[in-house]
Amino acid sequence: MRKTPEVINELKDKGVIDDYAIGGGIATLFYAEPFLTYDLDIFITIKQSGKIIDLTPIYDYLKSKGYKWKDEHIVIEGVPVQFIVADELEEEGIKNAKGITYEGIPNKVFSSEHLIAIFLRAGREKDIQKVKMLLQQTKINKRRLKNILRENLILK
Amino acid sequence: MAGDMKIRIGRKILKKEDIYRQKEIFHREQAKLSFEEKIKILIQLQKIAKNIKRKGIVWKIR
Repeated sequence: MRKTPEVINELKDKGVIDDYAIGGGIATLFYAEPFLTYDLDIFITIKQSGKIIDLTPIYDYLKSKGYKWKDEHIVIEGVPVQFIVADELEEEGIKNAKGITYEGIPNKVFSSEHLIAIFLRAGREKDIQKVKMLLQQTKINKRRLKNILRENLILK
Repeated sequence: MAGDMKIRIGRKILKKEDIYRQKEIFHREQAKLSFEEKIKILIQLQKIAKNIKRKGIVWKIR
């Protein structure tokens, strides 16, 4: 997967996206025990004019590099990647993301607290399963988590 | 009582709760593996799943 984060970083360096953080299953995998998952969810912030969010520049850039679409993903160096435009909570997650390295390549991953908040808000069975794993297997700053949940109206 | 159940494994006698505690420790230890190690395991899991289900993706990473 070494090449995939390199390409994502390239998108940021070239100004195609403003910033990003890894979320979803792969972010959970960073904190918890290995489990089966298939795609790499990249939450992004991009410059936006008007109400339409235009992802064309990202896909044009990646297509120009020879990467192809497969269902709802674009396959970058053998890894199916899904780009998700961040909403308010996810944008906060990107700003507070944890810097990591994968095979020497710098990356950013949501903090475990933001990850839990995002999963709780989604609330599907598979999201709740990941919340349980995170709570049991990694250190969580409970005060920080509570604040995130309160500020984003997930916890009243 | 199910809570008092003891299990013998060789010379060891364990309570059910000891087994659960050991399992929890095992999961927490797995969570401490390096990200690189976890990605390698993930790809193995994808291969196993593909063999069983005859569908699914295996990351083709170099």
